[in-house]
Amino acid sequence: MAERVVVAPVEEIPPGRRKIVVPFRGRAGIGVFNINGTFHALRNLCPHKSGPLCTGAVLGRLVADAPPSGRPLVVDDYRVDQDGEIIRCPWHLWEFEVATGRCLVDPTVRVKTYPVNVEDGQVVVYADPADLPEQPVALGGSPPDQPGS
Amino acid sequence: MTVVEGSRIVTAPGWTGKARTDLALIDCDVHQGYKKVDDLFPYLPRVYRERVIDQGLLIPSSGYFNNPKRAARTDLVGCDANMADRDGRNRGTDYEGLKGAHLDVWNVDRVLLTGSGANGASVIPDPDYGAAFCRAFNDYTMEHWAAKDERFMVAISVNVRDPQRAVEEIHRLGDHPQVKAIMLPTGAIMPYGNRFYHPIWEACEQHGLVVGIHPGAEGSGMAGPPTGVGYPTYYIETRMARPQMAMAHAVSFIAEGVFEKFPKLKVLFDECDQFWAVGLMWHMDADWKSLREQTPWVKRLPSEYFVDHIKVGSQPMLEPENEEQFFMMLDAMHADRTLVYCSDWPHWDWDDPATTFPKLPERLHKRVFADNARELFAL
Repeated sequence: MAERVVVAPVEEIPPGRRKIVVPFRGRAGIGVFNINGTFHALRNLCPHKSGPLCTGAVLGRLVADAPPSGRPLVVDDYRVDQDGEIIRCPWHLWEFEVATGRCLVDPTVRVKTYPVNVEDGQVVVYADPADLPEQPVALGGSPPDQPGS
Repeated sequence: MTVVEGSRIVTAPGWTGKARTDLALIDCDVHQGYKKVDDLFPYLPRVYRERVIDQGLLIPSSGYFNNPKRAARTDLVGCDANMADRDGRNRGTDYEGLKGAHLDVWNVDRVLLTGSGANGASVIPDPDYGAAFCRAFNDYTMEHWAAKDERFMVAISVNVRDPQRAVEEIHRLGDHPQVKAIMLPTGAIMPYGNRFYHPIWEACEQHGLVVGIHPGAEGSGMAGPPTGVGYPTYYIETRMARPQMAMAHAVSFIAEGVFEKFPKLKVLFDECDQFWAVGLMWHMDADWKSLREQTPWVKRLPSEYFVDHIKVGSQPMLEPENEEQFFMMLDAMHADRTLVYCSDWPHWDWDDPATTFPKLPERLHKRVFADNARELFAL
């Protein structure tokens, strides 16, 4: 029997929003995120110090090509990469890529991700990728004009 | 301790010092000096000569503290262990003494001359006198030390408080084949990563000079107090303060992105202890993972910049409780890439090359006593 959980109707998690589901494979549960219309599920347990990762802020990644002392003063100097695609754990601010679970400050660390499917208008998370239906009805994707998005 | 009149080597119970002949030996902290102030007069402009005659040097020495025996070993040739030579002369400041009691005894292959007395020139309010003093001391060093022995490498003194004057001096001497570094005091008006200093680092990178930093001038002149909590009372406290200053400068170099801006720049911390580097790297790495966003130009782990760009002198070598701890700490600080041997000749707290370390594995021994320094100075 496939281990799966029906999280919510698609319209309950519009782009930029998330839903925490507890429990799922342990008390920490999972966070289900809608990033630009695609659903992603992460374990709600930071691999660093076991903080509630999925309750953190979803932002971008601030980057700078060179130290400020080498450049003219401009207000929009810093570039933001992957805006809205990076989550920072509330406990120690480690950055993770929501889509992959990749940790951006320590390449040896990764948070577990789970496959997400949309079935009959419901967001469904599977514990094991092998349990995904062979022909997903609509993997990811969400109407662009959802209210509250 | 037995001091034999006219002898060149101290013998003492437990002394096992023997000259090493099997491995190259590079000593990254040897203090050359002048015997008396008049020695510098040929290199000082008249206006400053007359001022010195009238008012003295007006250069604060290495802090305000009571360094015993005027800092020098009392067994050295020409020194009187009972402090009878109170004629204002400095000790251990002649080339023949260094050659006979250190270079030839230990078969030292290369020596970094790190100076003495010029540190304070970077913390006095008059930037031109500070620069002129550095220039005079450098010219004295080139003529009376560097020219006498090919083993000498020179860390020239510059007035770091005035980047324009410092850059001028670096351009003036930086291409001399024996000039390999500049020498700055740990005491400063602000941490060395600050953009105020960047023209100096740019000039060092251009000439391939290492930025040497050595205790000195802390708590003197315009420099800040020796610790973040103010002025300690006793000399031993100021010694314990050196790692604080080294850490402040090292963090500043990394956080300000100096090594991103000047990717060939190398920094050497002499006489500031060693194992602070371990805690600093661990703490900086941990914090960078959380706070990276505040300094996004710091693109790699801070410890990676440290290991790639910073070297730490081995004197005064800390003495862990046992060899297991010693090796653990050497491993943790990546000593095979960060640690360079220093004797601190001719000071009382010097470290000889034979007894300072437990027996090191041969590869590590070569890294610490020669190869790290060879890479640092591109020898």
